[in-house]
Amino acid sequence: MLYINDLIKNYGSFTAVNHLSLHIPEGDLFGFVGPNGAGKTTTIRIVCGLLRASGGTVRIGNTAAAVGSKEMKRLIGYVPDFFGVYDNLKVREYMDLYGSMYGMYSRDIAKLTDDLLELVNLSDKKEVYVDTLSRGMKQRLCVARALLHNPSLLILDEPSSGLDPRARVEMKELLKNLHSMGKTIVISSHILSELSEMCNSIGIMNQGRLLTAGRIEDVMKQIAGGNRMRIQIASGMETAQRILKEQAGVKIESVRENEILILSNCTDQAVNAFIGLMIQNQVILTGFYKEEGSLETLFMQLTGGGAQ
Amino acid sequence: MRMRWNPIVKKDLQVTARSMRLSWGVFAYETVLTMAFLLALAVIQQESRSIYTTGNIYGYLIYLFPVLSIAQVCIVALIVPVITASSISGEKERQTFDIMLTTCMSPFSIVLGKVASAVLRILFFVMAGMPIMALAFVAGGLSWSYLFYFILTIILLSLLSGSIGILCSALCRRSITAVVLSYVFYFFIYILTFLPVILRALLTDGERMGESMLILLINPFIFFEEFFMQLMTGESLFGASGSNFTRGEVGFITYNLSQGKVWLFLSAACILTLSILFMLAAAWKVNPMHSSSGKKRKK
Ligand SMILES: Nc1ncnc2c1ncn2[C@@H]1O[C@H](COP(=O)(O)OP(=O)(O)OP(=O)(O)O)[C@@H](O)[C@H]1O
Ligand SMILES: [Mg+2]
Repeated sequence: MLYINDLIKNYGSFTAVNHLSLHIPEGDLFGFVGPNGAGKTTTIRIVCGLLRASGGTVRIGNTAAAVGSKEMKRLIGYVPDFFGVYDNLKVREYMDLYGSMYGMYSRDIAKLTDDLLELVNLSDKKEVYVDTLSRGMKQRLCVARALLHNPSLLILDEPSSGLDPRARVEMKELLKNLHSMGKTIVISSHILSELSEMCNSIGIMNQGRLLTAGRIEDVMKQIAGGNRMRIQIASGMETAQRILKEQAGVKIESVRENEILILSNCTDQAVNAFIGLMIQNQVILTGFYKEEGSLETLFMQLTGGGAQ
Repeated sequence: MRMRWNPIVKKDLQVTARSMRLSWGVFAYETVLTMAFLLALAVIQQESRSIYTTGNIYGYLIYLFPVLSIAQVCIVALIVPVITASSISGEKERQTFDIMLTTCMSPFSIVLGKVASAVLRILFFVMAGMPIMALAFVAGGLSWSYLFYFILTIILLSLLSGSIGILCSALCRRSITAVVLSYVFYFFIYILTFLPVILRALLTDGERMGESMLILLINPFIFFEEFFMQLMTGESLFGASGSNFTRGEVGFITYNLSQGKVWLFLSAACILTLSILFMLAAAWKVNPMHSSSGKKRKK
């Protein structure tokens, strides 16, 4: 659906997006993750035709339309990270305004508006002035607006920033709902737990580079090799630490009173071996856990590595 | 194919109609116009008494027309840039502009919509002032067609002022700077265009003006002076100041332009072209695909 090829964006000597290549298949709910300043917004704005790239290409579907052309804009629905609304304009008129900007007729817009407001749960606000809506409602209204021209790709930049937990859940439900209707959706966020619950593929970005991207299961597998383990020890702390330090492929992350946290990319046999060694050396183990690879740890690993 | 409004015009008119600005605007506009009317009337009465005529002032009421027109021209020239200068920068400040740019509106139709809505808003004011204007016609005995010409020139002027404002709005990030910048543009168009003529006159004792006057074709001052000259006396401004220029005094082109109504129409065409150029420049500036590095966004 969305093909980004070797995208570059320079601001003077600063490179905000660095040779980014990405393919998002049709029907995906793609999570675009990265810390502040990673270049997510920059990438999104280039795709939407709001910013000129310094290099590279962006293509949607099978059209050969250039970024920023009308055909391209017709394919994209965009919800920016920060946006405002007009004073003295009602929700219905707001939808009508943007619909007519896509060249639609008022009668068609009115019909669609009813359905879309129903979808984003704002049906009762049709005659309310937009500037009096709450932040969460505005956000949902903006999603409805972005869907008005039936785009094949919906792009949301940090849709849950500034929303309370309840509004976040509502937003998440809405996006899941749209996903199940077959829309291709791209969401940028730095709230990983949220993305891991709803996205079926993610891309992780840091300092302008795409570190990894793919199906969420595949990305998770990448950290299987770099698992975090928690070893609880009743006595023999020093011995245990000495043994762990001798192991190749084991990194001690933190040591607490009776717990050692390690990152290992050893095989199961090797893990077995050093645990056996500890027991032989009179270390009393009370617990040993392999932590589920969460997106957070992956994120810390990848972005931490990038910053070094 | 149905005729359709530019969505921006529709929205702008809808929104301003709801805000208090329109009401206050009409109120202020009419107040200034009424003041000008009363003042002119007082002067006319004074005049008609002092020169010991029959005391019939109706003949003098014809002068209400230029006075009221010039008052309106001044107000329009002053307020239109304020409306358009805040239009695009205002959208940027309110963070609605990005969304607008991602729709199918082309940058030029955005610019055109903004200028058109400013011109229409000004026409509301002008139309509201028509009854006062009409007095000059009824009592002064001017032809009704003059009123029509007057509206055309007001549209032309607001188009120019509006396009200057929109260009500044596209150039600046803040509305205030855009308004200030439009008055800087005004300075260039209204004042600095006199510079070649003045320099030429000083250097040659007014003997050889050459083609230095041609730049005045874009000067709205001269345009309106010529317009009122033509309406009131049927003569050209250039012809009336003594005899027509002799061929030696001015260049060949200027000489021919000062005949009949040629200057007036050519000047109108120049002002219109200039407006369109300003709007095209604004559209070019607004198009994200043209600005090289992109403006720094504030968060
Ligand atoms: N107009 C600009 N001029 C110069 N640098 C810019 C400009 N816009 C963005 N940048 C830089 O580009 C980098 C990427 O910014 P971007 O907004 O894309 O990050 P982001 O991933 O969206 O971050 P966040 O999570 O904070 O939204 C940042 O370092 C930022 O300082
Ligand atoms: Mg961002």
